[in-house]
Amino acid sequence: MRYLKGVVAAAAMLASTLGVNAATEAQRVTVTGEVMDTWCYYSGVMGGQDAVVGTAHYTCAIWCAAGGIPIGVLGDDGQVYLVLEVEGVGTADGQPSILDIQADRITADAMMYERDGFKYIVVNKITSNEGITNLNHTNFGPIPGFAIPKSARGG
Amino acid sequence: MRTLILAAALAALPFSALADDHGSKAKSWGLKGEEMSRFSAKVVEIKCELTGECADACGAGAYQLGLLTTEGKLIPVNKNGQTSFNGGVDDLLPYCGQTIEVDGLLVGDVAGNDKLDSKLYQVQLIKPEGGEWKKANEHTKAWKKKFPDAGGKGPWFRRDPRVLAQTDANGYMGLGLEEDKKFIKEWYSQ
Repeated sequence: MRYLKGVVAAAAMLASTLGVNAATEAQRVTVTGEVMDTWCYYSGVMGGQDAVVGTAHYTCAIWCAAGGIPIGVLGDDGQVYLVLEVEGVGTADGQPSILDIQADRITADAMMYERDGFKYIVVNKITSNEGITNLNHTNFGPIPGFAIPKSARGG
Repeated sequence: MRTLILAAALAALPFSALADDHGSKAKSWGLKGEEMSRFSAKVVEIKCELTGECADACGAGAYQLGLLTTEGKLIPVNKNGQTSFNGGVDDLLPYCGQTIEVDGLLVGDVAGNDKLDSKLYQVQLIKPEGGEWKKANEHTKAWKKKFPDAGGKGPWFRRDPRVLAQTDANGYMGLGLEEDKKFIKEWYSQ
């Protein structure tokens, strides 16, 4: 019997690792943080994580959101929440309301679904929007450097 | 006992090790935590998969898509194989609901950031069932169809009317045109 229990426990652990019984139960949450571009944050393609948020990365975040790259909210808790929908609007085709909130610090009432190491949210309502508060362009300049085209640099 | 040991050993392996690269031909981009990864998976609309609320036609391009592996793991697709700020939805949408083979990179600095638990996927190649491998580079073609009147020169993101509406109103830092002027003058005079 003890042997059988061991096998069952190991099988459950294996199933958990493989995501067979991954939780998709919804949890209502309030998330506060910055709307951000997940690709640059995860991949490091444009530099460190401090540089790919805020004003430094504003234009790049617009490009990525317009290109259909998933947006996220970098929560005050340091977690990245992958955003699937904002107030009824999907995030994969660059809708104006999605571009409008890039780099903004928001608080959102959302449903969260945890699955296989990611926290996904469906935002019911943005309850407050403080606008852009992370003024990191003075440290990093534009990220990437070509975010400001030569024609706009006055030189 | 051998079954128990094998199951425990398998459970201890990270997903990437289980997945293996299976002969991946993905190109390295030199990204954080990058792992070549080729596998079979069903293309799913993520919100539908998680909530059971499913939009028509897998969201028709408006909703993010993911890959549901044969082991039941849901992997969000973040990027296609193009180099200019392109997502993967245009590449995967034709196969939504189908099982396909994909080749690309799992990406994410899970070793350097304890808040990141799993890696996103960059799809570079797609092989439909019974079909040939093809590059995942549909975004710019779809963009041209969507914005046939986008004028000017340069890549899509310099000409996209939605992007221009934002930067024309808010500047390149999002703080407004006056702040932009001041910053540009200061930054580029250094």
